[in-house]
Amino acid sequence: MNTLSFRTAIHSCILKSLQNKLIRSTFETTNLIQTREYAARKGTRERKKKGKVKVEIQKVGFIPHNQRNREKYLASRPKLKFDDSTMRDPVDDVFVMNYYKWVVYPFQEAVQCHRETHSPEIYNKPDSDLLVTVELNMQGEKKNKMVDNFTRIAPMPHKFDHGEERSIIAFSKTPENQDIAREAGAQLSGGPDMIKQIQNGQLSLADFKFVIAHPEILPELVVLRGLLKKRFPNPKNGTLDVNLGTAVHKFLHGVSYTATKDEYEKDFGLIETRVGPLSMDAKQLEENFAALVRDIYTMKPKRQGTFISRCILWSPPSPEKLKVDHVAYLEDTESTKSKGKVEDEDDEKVEQVAL
Amino acid sequence: MWKTINSALVTSIKNQTVLQPINELLYQQIRTTYVLKRKTPPNLHKLGGLRKPLRSRHYIYDVIKNTAIERQPDIEVLLTSVVEGLGNVGDKVSVRPQFAYNNLLLPGLAVYASPENQEKYKDLAINTDVKKYSTPSAAYTVQSLSRMTLSVIMNKDVPWTLKPWHIKASFRKCGYVVPEYAIELPEQPITGPNMDIENKEFAITVTINKQEKVNVRCRLHHWSTELASRLPYVPRFWETPSEPILPEQKSILDTIPIKEIPVRRLRSGAWGVWVRFLVWRSERHPGPA
Repeated sequence: MNTLSFRTAIHSCILKSLQNKLIRSTFETTNLIQTREYAARKGTRERKKKGKVKVEIQKVGFIPHNQRNREKYLASRPKLKFDDSTMRDPVDDVFVMNYYKWVVYPFQEAVQCHRETHSPEIYNKPDSDLLVTVELNMQGEKKNKMVDNFTRIAPMPHKFDHGEERSIIAFSKTPENQDIAREAGAQLSGGPDMIKQIQNGQLSLADFKFVIAHPEILPELVVLRGLLKKRFPNPKNGTLDVNLGTAVHKFLHGVSYTATKDEYEKDFGLIETRVGPLSMDAKQLEENFAALVRDIYTMKPKRQGTFISRCILWSPPSPEKLKVDHVAYLEDTESTKSKGKVEDEDDEKVEQVAL
Repeated sequence: MWKTINSALVTSIKNQTVLQPINELLYQQIRTTYVLKRKTPPNLHKLGGLRKPLRSRHYIYDVIKNTAIERQPDIEVLLTSVVEGLGNVGDKVSVRPQFAYNNLLLPGLAVYASPENQEKYKDLAINTDVKKYSTPSAAYTVQSLSRMTLSVIMNKDVPWTLKPWHIKASFRKCGYVVPEYAIELPEQPITGPNMDIENKEFAITVTINKQEKVNVRCRLHHWSTELASRLPYVPRFWETPSEPILPEQKSILDTIPIKEIPVRRLRSGAWGVWVRFLVWRSERHPGPA
């Protein structure tokens, strides 16, 4: 019985396999059947799934029309850096400015030109401000390292109303120095007693915009370092000075200016400030301008080439913009550069010793 | 198979005989000179011995000079008529060869400055009665001054009499350098403030290099320092017609050409301005427009 059933089972198996073979052979000839009837290798599907990167659609908020393609617009924008070296020099006494190099006026002549347009018979604004736009080449010591934006106060030899309120507190040990600072215009001038008052809370440093000190009081002043933080007097800013009178005068009457780099053209910097009212004496205006140019040049990085590329004088409401010669005021700074360096080093030493 | 090849060959030969090869006509001068340098110099051979054969590496060259793309030097031409911005009759000028060929030699304004031509046109400068300019650029300045309308802005509240330095400042504001000595005002003084002469015209004479005289059309505007009493801004004032301040200057003003309205402005729909402009021009220059 067992053997019989076994035999029949074998027979049926053979028959089935034969049938299968037959069917397969017939279907193979017609190429209708799937050739692979086994599953893909284990892990293949997972691997492929891993390979697929899910594309995440980022939702972009509404961008105003004038800000679309901003990068593209900035890249195709004409260069801000001024260069008219390819233009011709004028030959005639009457000519169209657009076709030639910019006219470079001597400072006093430019002032005279603005006075003409602001005379009572034309614009009738003889008290208008004389504004200066200074264009800078902000390239640093290395080609792709730029000078940072900076804000400074340039000393003005001839004071004028700059429209800012500036309160000054001056520290010095000797009463003579304290008097000098007070006479120069410091709101408060004192010595170690004043430091104690500040520590007690009787005096608030927040009421003063500038803190100026004489190097002699530096050991006592170190106590206030935590309160003053960045405003702590140092020789680089000019707030730590032996000559308190000039330092106070500078911070009281000097003109503040900021050099800002263009957000796209990083090596193009711009300063807009003023040197006085048009009604001021032309020679005094010139001295103020010279002081400004010299102060800007102290920020020049140690590299070849020029720092200031162009200076423009203008005065609203006139649309006129006159290029003025600034190189004439730089010559003596170039010659004193080597001396200045030595002094700077000395100052640094003093600071190190004091701290 | 051979038959077909033969027949094809025969037809091609026949064609050749029927049509002339085109390259025979091309006897144009062309620059094909290259200066090359071998990347690896060939080895030296023994004295009196055979030359060593060159290897493939010896046939690799660096281009030192390609005469086809080399910048050609400027050429000198002799002007036979006045060319604005270049020079007077008889001047020898040095210009780019392509510019000289297209703009000077082809239109017949200049000839090559060969010794024969220089001999031939020696007396040209002396004999012609053509108007001469003091400098080549003065011709351009004359053109641009004669087609402009100078805006002269004067104060609305303070009394004034027009002086050359007012004009000088106005010119400078508009981008022209004109010294005071070059300005000649009308004989009859113009005084103000006077709202009757607001936006009206007068003519002045500018002398370039103390030689060329140009009449310049000026428009007078009043300006007040206070914002409230300031007159409304008129855009493109030179496109609207106006009257002369001094009646005796009408003849001079009519001779000064009027600046045409650019076509792109007309395309953007300034037809009203254009029609007014045409009427104005026909009044000034009667005749076929």
